[in-house]
Amino acid sequence: MFGEKVLELVQELQRSRDGTMLPFNEDGVRKVLEEMKALYDQNQADVVSTREEGQSGLFSGVQLRHTCLERNQRCLLAYLHNRLAIIRNMRWEFGSVLPADVKQNLSDQEFQWFTKYNKSLASYMRSLGTGGLDLTQDRKPPKSLYIEVRCLVDHGEFETEDGTIIVLKKNSQHFLQRSQCEHLIRQGVLEHILS
Amino acid sequence: MFVTDIRKDFYEKVLHKRVLVLVSFDVDAICACKILKALFHCDSVQYTLVPVAGKMDWERVFSEHAEQLEFVVMINCGATLDILETLQPEENVTFFVCDSHRPMDLVNVYNDTQVKLLMSPEESIPKYEDIFRDDESDDEDDIGNDSDGSEPNGKRRRFDEDVLERRMERRRKRREWDGHRHQLLFDYEEFSGYGQSAAMIMYDLAWKMSKDTNDLLWWAIVGLTDQLLSKKIDRETYVLEATELNRHVARHNHRGDEEEDSVSINSMRISFTSELQLALYRHWSLFESLRHSSYTACNLKLWTLKGFKKLHEFLADMGVPLSECKQKFSAMDMGLKDNVTDWLVTSARKFGLEQITLSSFHAQYGFKNKFCAFDVAYGVNALLESVETEKSQEGYFLEALDCLSRSNIDKLAHGLELSKRQFRATVNTVQSLLDMTQVISAGSFLYAFIQEGTPDTRYFARPNCLGMLARFTLEAYVKMSKNRKARTLPLVMTAPLNLETGTLLVVGIPPLPELEQSSKNFFGRAFEQAGKKTSSRILHDNFDSSVIEMKNEDRSKFFDALISLLT
Repeated sequence: MFGEKVLELVQELQRSRDGTMLPFNEDGVRKVLEEMKALYDQNQADVVSTREEGQSGLFSGVQLRHTCLERNQRCLLAYLHNRLAIIRNMRWEFGSVLPADVKQNLSDQEFQWFTKYNKSLASYMRSLGTGGLDLTQDRKPPKSLYIEVRCLVDHGEFETEDGTIIVLKKNSQHFLQRSQCEHLIRQGVLEHILS
Repeated sequence: MFVTDIRKDFYEKVLHKRVLVLVSFDVDAICACKILKALFHCDSVQYTLVPVAGKMDWERVFSEHAEQLEFVVMINCGATLDILETLQPEENVTFFVCDSHRPMDLVNVYNDTQVKLLMSPEESIPKYEDIFRDDESDDEDDIGNDSDGSEPNGKRRRFDEDVLERRMERRRKRREWDGHRHQLLFDYEEFSGYGQSAAMIMYDLAWKMSKDTNDLLWWAIVGLTDQLLSKKIDRETYVLEATELNRHVARHNHRGDEEEDSVSINSMRISFTSELQLALYRHWSLFESLRHSSYTACNLKLWTLKGFKKLHEFLADMGVPLSECKQKFSAMDMGLKDNVTDWLVTSARKFGLEQITLSSFHAQYGFKNKFCAFDVAYGVNALLESVETEKSQEGYFLEALDCLSRSNIDKLAHGLELSKRQFRATVNTVQSLLDMTQVISAGSFLYAFIQEGTPDTRYFARPNCLGMLARFTLEAYVKMSKNRKARTLPLVMTAPLNLETGTLLVVGIPPLPELEQSSKNFFGRAFEQAGKKTSSRILHDNFDSSVIEMKNEDRSKFFDALISLLT
């Protein structure tokens, strides 16, 4: 009673601060809603009895329950909002397709929101410039168009966008366009060298 | 052909193109490559950089990457080989060669289209007319004359005699020319040596484009210093080049003496100072450093009890307590530390070590990091030839490449540790070689074998480290030997390379550099001929012709042939 359940939800949120997506706590949310309903009913009853019988001693109780209600509401909203923020970040990080394990942990409404967000982001990015612009590509402005990379495994031939073929052998070093080798860096074929 | 304007004929050609850069395994090449990389980064020149260990590696790497390439830059590799013959490149491929190995292959020198040499021309190169003959149609006119037989007999005979005479004359000339050519080629290729450091050439390029910074300058300094340490150039040339570099140092580090003008402590400052020839003493203890530096160790004869006493005498003369000498230099008493260099120089003079100082450069950034060019060159070399097995050889090449950046000081520190281990191994091995009298004189040269199974052999399976050991041994032997002739003798040294395949690494070094024909090394050709005579299984893979690999079993017959060849 009195906001303990909702605190658990907030704590859960706190534990997933590193960006991991915990499963949607439907049970917890339902319990909080039930608690709020019970609080509201009791308040309603007390207010009615006050009005009918003129007892003023119940006011402080009503006041307390009302604060609890407001707190519960705020915490619930925080829970939902922060989960949405995580989902939005994941859209920017992983692209339009969510990994399966993340998808499992979403509630239906959250998933709907994700698809809608996806759609509006895509249409916005299409409208930019002449042929559209992928905003998720470089979130911080890159220092240079070219970067120095080192090959970690024998990858074989790699064709760049302008058609030149580069042989990626282990322990060779290359100076390439950032945009072209970014996905290879993500795959762990190349290593970006900072110096 | 030699490139006259390195900026116009080399850099502007490769601008906005893709370049393959091949770099050999030595410190100078690494420094040159760092400079070139910095330039390429400025102008967004896309490149692929591949380290090459030897000639076979060189051919393999080229054939792997040759597709769609037009420009190849080679640093400290390739000039001594006929590039077009060996690599069989497409016709549109241009090679830019920046190599300090000498002698250069003459086909490279006189190829006008595909091979461009980024170095200054040398006088010793024979003239084109003396080596190549353009007129192939020598004897053709004679044949044409022979076929028409319409003249009367008498006339014909006279004419024949004429022709015969002319032909004889021509043949004689041809023979003379051939003999002359042979002699010239022999003289030219007899000795192998080294030219200007590749890092210096690259720095020169950076300077001409006004893109030189303190970092690039530092790499050029390290490259030059490495050439001195591995005795590729003699002291005089070093001093000359160092003075040249000092001008750049002064230009880059010129700030007023006033406090407010001085740059922030975190930026890099290079200074030109005279430096003790003690290996790594700033990162070691003074005592250890004195013991392991070739100059002090050989001159004080530290391999004998008497020599060891002399070292203690030397320290006593300096007036530094033993306990201070034996602890880390950085932890020494401040009062002592500031003065120790001066005391050392004064005492060294008394003990006949006049040449203990040599002009060199220091780099400082931050309060903590102060490095001497000697130490950095040692450190990089040790990383390059690391005997740890967690990475491949190329992996250690990249480590060495990284450690020159200012952000990777921890890697350099690791290199310095490795270098200390190398020095310890070297000194121990020299000691045991001398104690067991394993340096043997074969009349015209000395030789020493490092036996399998001795504790430190793995360090000497690397060419530069074996070369360092050989020079150390030779100097120590000359100082210890009563035989005056020993001073003029070169040394051949072998060390086990790979126990499984049973191969040896053989390196030949010229006599001590105090003599006149100092940096000239004739072992390249001698090894080749001795190998041919005995049909030993030798492998000339290294870019240095005086370093070869050989099968274990062939050693005795190879050395017999070498002895008979050189006497």
